[in-house]
Amino acid sequence: MIKVKRKKFDEIIDCIDRYNNILNVGCGGCASVCLGGGQKEVGILNEELRLYYEKKGEKKDIDAYTVERACNEKCFLDLPNVIEKGNYDAIITMCCSAGTQLIAEKFNKIPVYPAVDTIAIGIDRDIGLYEEKCRACGHCVIGYTGGICPITRCAKSLFNGPCGGTNKGMCEVNPNIPCAWYEIYNRLKEQNRLEDIKKIHPPVDWKNQIQRTVVQYGYEERYVNMDV
Amino acid sequence: MSNLPDIILSNKSKIKFAMSLCARCSMCAPSCFLYRANNGDPTYMPSYKMLNSIGLIFKKKGNLSDNDLENIKNIVWEKCVLCTRCYCSLGIDIPYLISLARDFCRQKGVYKTYDN
Ligand code: SF4
Ligand code: SF4
Ligand code: SF4
Ligand code: SF4
Repeated sequence: MIKVKRKKFDEIIDCIDRYNNILNVGCGGCASVCLGGGQKEVGILNEELRLYYEKKGEKKDIDAYTVERACNEKCFLDLPNVIEKGNYDAIITMCCSAGTQLIAEKFNKIPVYPAVDTIAIGIDRDIGLYEEKCRACGHCVIGYTGGICPITRCAKSLFNGPCGGTNKGMCEVNPNIPCAWYEIYNRLKEQNRLEDIKKIHPPVDWKNQIQRTVVQYGYEERYVNMDV
Repeated sequence: MSNLPDIILSNKSKIKFAMSLCARCSMCAPSCFLYRANNGDPTYMPSYKMLNSIGLIFKKKGNLSDNDLENIKNIVWEKCVLCTRCYCSLGIDIPYLISLARDFCRQKGVYKTYDN
């Protein structure tokens, strides 16, 4: 799932300092699961902000509301109402940046500031310990690379084998990081399918990247008039 | 006395409609992957989850004991991930109604935190 991490306190202050009536929106989805921006974390940040402004002798109203999923308008629940009633000058969000953009789009008269950074699509190693696994490149090659993502794991995101710097299993960029291609080679070898490493993949065309839209198989007819 | 929040009151007709229309036909059951993954445990049926969460909140007019809230929390977080994939042939929007129950719990400070 998506992993988010709270921004530094100073950066959050820098965003909201000029406003007096603020709403902090949390997300009950991935942001909750990774302990970065669910209802509990929203409460903690708001309490820290309250203490900070109290100490400075400034009065600010900072409310909280957590939606079930910020990336799906249907899961906003009471948010439109809360915003209308609250007459907020600004919104801070603790969902991922996708959810934040939907909130910014739907409530586009109000400035919206993320209070978290969206770090990764990753896995859970333990509670509060996550590891990036995918950068959503849009054309997954891990079928050829032994289930190890070369985009995420290789410092240069190389597609077709290691660079010249691979050194006894470690990466030249940082000797403490394993070389992704060394691991790929070993895994393919163990699975007796080293021929997969020889299949050459064209480089990803990173230039002129436009926003992607996903239309699932079977749904093409339904969205036929959409220019996607 | 009614202790229902505005969001539930504004969805009153939807909830009433669901509660009177749900025939416990169990047609929605196989559309829930959690019901299937739990070997057809009836407490994972979307209809069961709906009736025993928002249904109960509505029936008790929002006056729930701590025990009720804990039970609802268990249903709406542990037994439903709000994937919105369940399907009711009578047109009841089960996930939305379950999400209303989640919102009710949240406003009471009862929710899942994932840190244990
Ligand atoms: S808004 Fe982002 S963090 Fe929240 S459920 Fe959607 S993808 Fe996950
Ligand atoms: S190749 Fe890597 S970045 Fe691309 S989709 Fe697969 S796992 Fe994700
Ligand atoms: S040493 Fe390995 S991981 Fe590091 S940049 Fe080269 S190929 Fe990638
Ligand atoms: S929304 Fe809940 S009840 Fe419906 S299919 Fe998903 S997990 Fe099952």
